[in-house]
Amino acid sequence: MIKEIKASKFEKITLIFLILLGIITFGTYLIIKDKCLFVKNFDPNNINFIKPNNITILNAPCGNVIIELYPTISPNGVKRFVTLIKSNAYEDIAFHRVIKNKLVQAGDLEFGKKGSLNYRKIGTGKSGLGSIKSEIDNDFNYTKGSVGLARTFKNDTEDSQFFIILQDEPLFEGEYTPIGKVLYGLEILKKIKHQRNSEYILRPDFINSFKMLK
Amino acid sequence: MNLLRAILLLIIFISPIKANTIFNIIKIPNLEIYEINTKNKLKYFYAAAPFRLGVQKNIACSNPSKKDLEIKYKTIYKNLSRYSYNYLKMINLKYIVMCENLSISELYTAGIPDNIMKTLILDIKFDENYFERVIHHEVFHIMYLQHKKIFNDEEWIKLNNSNFKYAKCSTCTKNIGLEKYYKTEGFFTEYSKSTASEDMAEVYSHMIYLEKNEIEQIRKLPFR
Repeated sequence: MIKEIKASKFEKITLIFLILLGIITFGTYLIIKDKCLFVKNFDPNNINFIKPNNITILNAPCGNVIIELYPTISPNGVKRFVTLIKSNAYEDIAFHRVIKNKLVQAGDLEFGKKGSLNYRKIGTGKSGLGSIKSEIDNDFNYTKGSVGLARTFKNDTEDSQFFIILQDEPLFEGEYTPIGKVLYGLEILKKIKHQRNSEYILRPDFINSFKMLK
Repeated sequence: MNLLRAILLLIIFISPIKANTIFNIIKIPNLEIYEINTKNKLKYFYAAAPFRLGVQKNIACSNPSKKDLEIKYKTIYKNLSRYSYNYLKMINLKYIVMCENLSISELYTAGIPDNIMKTLILDIKFDENYFERVIHHEVFHIMYLQHKKIFNDEEWIKLNNSNFKYAKCSTCTKNIGLEKYYKTEGFFTEYSKSTASEDMAEVYSHMIYLEKNEIEQIRKLPFR
């Protein structure tokens, strides 16, 4: 006959401690794994915009980034950007260059497409629409959230690639064509995958969708 | 060798990336912002540590002391403030780099103009007697490089006495004095005689730097 053994007080405490430890470990794992957990997502339909025709919504892995475009500052740059947005060209395009808390860059339509990424050439691709002239004469403060068109070493080589800065960059004024500014969702951009030791990203995050509000 | 490669790779992989906006824009390392909010939108940087440039790393410059920077910045700023934003934009000058003991292939020089990078590197330790004027001399070089088609060296040479010949290059002669000739006889300084473009730069810098009455006096002198 087996004698029933009552758990001692110490054993009960140990058991409770182990259960709590398990819960905390599992919870922490879930929190760490879900990088978007505490990031606020914005629904553009719940926001009133002064110029709704200039509003565009970039959907990134952690949610919506709402950008106001500035056609009066860079008419040709914005025109090109809107053309590509309206043709859904930016969908499934990689954030191929990300520098933590500094900038995210995307828009390589040739070598940055999901499923056919070309790591060797990414960042050098074109849209097929040709390059456009730099529009850098107007005053523009490159403050946090500013969106600009990327270019090669030379001016007048802007095409489809764009960047969004995550910190103020006063030296960008007069260097890069500004096309807009993030109104909501800068925190979402900060969650885009980056690498500690390289600007270029292995297995990068992608743009889910990019649409004009109207 | 393999061990060395492995160590190098390890260093690369454990080193966090540091984005340097100034380097990304003008490709000169070790610079920091001195002043960027200027009326004509010139951006002033200084060497925070020595740097080397060029394919063969033959351009070198050192970091100046804070005190020297403070003094020379005022001089540079005063002189370059004479140029409007539109003028600077037209000649493609936007960035000023201040450092000391600037040299190309071990030869000391007052400045290095680079119209492609929109940059002028200035040696703030350059001879005090000519420093201010030399700033304008270098500005001319930027303009010359940016609008090379406008400047016709051959036509300029024709203005000289037919017996006169420039040196083959600006560093091919030992006659590099910057003291203004009392009797110009067609040349402002000894250095004017080095090359056509240096001659032009000397004329330009004197025209900008000299007082009006001095220019008038020179105009009265007989032509070469």
